[in-house]
Amino acid sequence: MRISGHFNRPTWSRMGLALLALPTFALANADLEKHMANNKNWAAQAGDMFNQRYSTLKQINTSNVGKMQVAWTFSTGVLRGHEGSPLVIDGTMYLHTPFPNKVFAIDLDTQKIKWKYEPKQDPAVIPQMCCDTVYRGLAYAEGKVFLQQADSNLVSLDAKTGKVLWSVKNGDPKLGAVNTNAPHVFKDKVITGISGGEWGVRGFLAAYDINTGKQVWKAYSTGPDNEMLMDPEKTMTWTDGAMKPVGKDSSLKTWKGDQWKIGGGTTWGWYSYDKATNAVYYGTGNPSTWNPSQRPGDNKWSMSIFARDVDTGMAKWVYQMTPFDEWDFDGINEMILADINVKGKPTKALVHFDRNGFAYTLDRVTGALLVAEKYDPKVNWATHVDMKTGRPQVVAKYSTAQNGPDVNTKGICPAALGTKDQQPASYDPETKLFYVPTNHVCMDYEPFKVEYTAGQPYVGATLSMYPAPNSHGGMGNFITWDAGTGKIVQSKPEKFSVWSGSLNTAGGLSCYGTLEGFLKCVDKKDITKELYKFKTPSGIIGNVFTYEHKGKQYIGVFSGIGGWAGIGMAAGLEKDTDGLGAVGGYRELNQYTDLGGSLTVFALPN
Amino acid sequence: MFRSTLIALSLAALAGTAFAQDKPYKVVDGYKVDEFTMKGFRAWRQAACDRCHGANQEGMVGPSLINSLKTLTKEEFVKVVRDGRLDKGMQSFGNSQVVMDNIDSLYAYLKGRSDGAITRSKVEPMGQ
Repeated sequence: MRISGHFNRPTWSRMGLALLALPTFALANADLEKHMANNKNWAAQAGDMFNQRYSTLKQINTSNVGKMQVAWTFSTGVLRGHEGSPLVIDGTMYLHTPFPNKVFAIDLDTQKIKWKYEPKQDPAVIPQMCCDTVYRGLAYAEGKVFLQQADSNLVSLDAKTGKVLWSVKNGDPKLGAVNTNAPHVFKDKVITGISGGEWGVRGFLAAYDINTGKQVWKAYSTGPDNEMLMDPEKTMTWTDGAMKPVGKDSSLKTWKGDQWKIGGGTTWGWYSYDKATNAVYYGTGNPSTWNPSQRPGDNKWSMSIFARDVDTGMAKWVYQMTPFDEWDFDGINEMILADINVKGKPTKALVHFDRNGFAYTLDRVTGALLVAEKYDPKVNWATHVDMKTGRPQVVAKYSTAQNGPDVNTKGICPAALGTKDQQPASYDPETKLFYVPTNHVCMDYEPFKVEYTAGQPYVGATLSMYPAPNSHGGMGNFITWDAGTGKIVQSKPEKFSVWSGSLNTAGGLSCYGTLEGFLKCVDKKDITKELYKFKTPSGIIGNVFTYEHKGKQYIGVFSGIGGWAGIGMAAGLEKDTDGLGAVGGYRELNQYTDLGGSLTVFALPN
Repeated sequence: MFRSTLIALSLAALAGTAFAQDKPYKVVDGYKVDEFTMKGFRAWRQAACDRCHGANQEGMVGPSLINSLKTLTKEEFVKVVRDGRLDKGMQSFGNSQVVMDNIDSLYAYLKGRSDGAITRSKVEPMGQ
């Protein structure tokens, strides 16, 4: 066999060996990192792997944003809640939709749809989705677009043609194990989680090979050490003021009987990755059921922050924020990685704004707990977090477990949807502050006994939510937060919860969307200064993003009310009712918006 | 005099209790119900119907049952609950033992709510 004339045999062998020596993972990471480093792109849901939601683009800035105009719009053809944002890579925009999870690739030169992919999914999946048929978005790497379908199938599509490269089943919708999260590409793996904490689904995080879709590892949130990928001696947790091994059966010891098998701890939020620690960071959701007396014990490791080795899935460290949850304070919100001064010391930090109303700062290398403070002054279910034990000090009056089943515990702040739900905050490396979209809502919560039936809701509480009393009367605030000291720096009240992901830019802006449907941009140095405001077609629960094309910067956001806050709107709200509690307080939304499904993209005038 | 007083007392007693031959529920003071209807309330809670129909049955993602039960026959009600309305987003409860074992009670509870005889969602046993 003749080898190509360009290479003689020894060179080819040397090259072959050199290729073998290169770890293949370096390529996948390098490709996505390259696209992320180009600030014209928005190559991942958070713009980067640290979840900072920050762009160095500054064409649109504080001096000219007041003149921003709508540049173009696109209707997705789908109603219901539009979460997440599109991606932009090298002049192509990739959009996703709520169920049925359509994918579009749009050529930004011509605005033509290059290809469209519409999965065939069983509509029986829809009623298995507790809180609207949302989907948080796509991931991209190496010429592939990754789609996490509601029916749990994780799909790899050729970015040029939309053809399916591989498809793998990640969960079992018949059990209520469906998906709403965006998949994330870290290294040579696609990381994804699962939903269904209200169906008794046992949560997990899983990694799939980027090229083949083969499952590389799967780490459960509850149960035996080997299924949780926990090492009793090496996995560390904050204990009495220091990092100590979790010990054997750290999860099993904190559940009664087999309850951990239907234990929840689902993983539907936003993950981050640091190649220096080689760890993926994420949080776990509520333990099942919402009736705490049925599951005595700390219910580890629900409500926890995890750092896992991205190659093996082994847990490096873990920290539980809300042991023995009594309020549905899912711990899944985004883990933001930032190098900041914490109490004066330069720290490789992980910052997390939890549903439970506490903002946590941890050392992302060691897992040490550094700061845990309330980021809404009305939070009342706990007085503080004991910094030595890491445990919240629960106030008996607001303990739904102590008051008992069939008793309506009133006036708990925050409400179950938390001081912040999945809507992601942003970090600004210039101001060194975090820009946080929050909920300012309280609740009455009445638990009751329920039985588990596979595939049926396993809830066990009835809720009523309303604006935080004795406050400004609104249901949201946009705040800036100093994670080094644990203090609110500024707070801008909003009529409704700020349920969109924020974006910060080098142009001096912080932008977010409101439930009435306004895209707002404020001065990041003084967020009470609103510099731009525009009413888009429907309430916003998507994430603001930005990109540049042909020398022009664009800022965009999905509109389409829905999600947990907007679920009353998602099919026509009539009266003040409770359901999973969300409707009552948000009833007034119907005076501002109706359903929708579109992308609005803004730019400066020509 | 005694007879008219007796009649008046009987009428007063009847007014406090919605109890007619064709009603599947019994309710006193608007929220105290018989054990049969209590089972229906418990099934309603267990199945988390409120997440779509609202905690007061007044409708949310799914329609108001206060309205629906005015027009659905009992047989239609059982069919919808058992088979679901998949195209409209309602799952089938045919495999839910707690629902199907208590379907008659569930109907009674919801019918009482729809009739306005049961005046609030959270009911309590009559005995207390």
